[in-house]
Amino acid sequence: MVLLLALALGVALGLLTDIAIPAAVLTYVGVAVLAAFDSVLGGIRASLEHTFDDKVFAFGFLTNTLLAALIVFIGDRIGVRELYLAAVVAFGIRLFDNLGIVRRLLFQRKGWE
Amino acid sequence: MDRPKYSPSLVITVAVLGFIVALAFNTARGMAEVRPERASNLADVVRDLELQRVNLQDRLGELRTRMDAYDSQAALDAGVNDSYTRELESVREAAGLVAVSGPGLRVMLGDGTDVPAGSDPNDYLIHDTDIATFVNALFAGGATAIDVNGERVVATTPIRCAGTTILVNSVRLGAPYTINAIGDAQEMKRALDLDHNAELILGAYRAQYGLQVSTTPVQELSVAPFKGSMRPVYATSAGGAS
Repeated sequence: MVLLLALALGVALGLLTDIAIPAAVLTYVGVAVLAAFDSVLGGIRASLEHTFDDKVFAFGFLTNTLLAALIVFIGDRIGVRELYLAAVVAFGIRLFDNLGIVRRLLFQRKGWE
Repeated sequence: MDRPKYSPSLVITVAVLGFIVALAFNTARGMAEVRPERASNLADVVRDLELQRVNLQDRLGELRTRMDAYDSQAALDAGVNDSYTRELESVREAAGLVAVSGPGLRVMLGDGTDVPAGSDPNDYLIHDTDIATFVNALFAGGATAIDVNGERVVATTPIRCAGTTILVNSVRLGAPYTINAIGDAQEMKRALDLDHNAELILGAYRAQYGLQVSTTPVQELSVAPFKGSMRPVYATSAGGAS
């Protein structure tokens, strides 16, 4: 519930500020969103498993985002712009993996299983 | 059932994630509808392009004008070229390099047939000097083109003998000799009559030695072109009027 509230708050703030992202860094933002999504889902899963650690979370989030940004940057530099797809695919797979586990854990907790 | 405790960092991250997603949403919306400042930018772009178009049209007009100038110059050059070609043609004609035709006089010169024993056979033959005499007389009578047995007489043409044959343009000719001369037939005939040697051949010698000589006016006579080389090997142009 806290998480949903935080999400709503963030979205509201973002919509209110009316800041547009420059087209040049749009790819970076997209990959950053994916990295953040992945970290958040991983964090939720860890929280549900009672193994959440602030340091691990922060470090994971940071390294994921940095590596994703690096891959996009390299792709830009060597002319293979599609390189960012590697980060997208990797994050996407992890995302759905974590989502499945979170869903199962939530179901277990609610006793639906 | 213990409620999971979410770390503040996770909560903040979720908020940030929402914020970024909202920004991305903003961006997508901004692309869909053109923003006012973007519209003014586009107006600037349109103005710039219109200015460029005007400039390019001016340039096009300028280039078209220059093109017209080049075209007329080319036409002028073509005219000059034509006149040069005509001049070259007339020079070639004057030099005897082209076949010509027209009214004229045909002179036949044949050796005498019967040579009596004890007489000098040279008296019964047509010699190179005889041909030269006729050619010169015909030119004196206003001939504009002469050939001897198809050998055109030009400025560098020698008429000489080598042994028993006559050479014109260094080509061996055999009797009888046909001289085609284009010009006024009457004038040329008069010139032949006025020339002492020619008159002798046509008159007294013909009767005495039986020479097969005759002159015939021809309405349509054709004279062969000079077929030899005209390259001056030692002579070089002294300049001056051409």
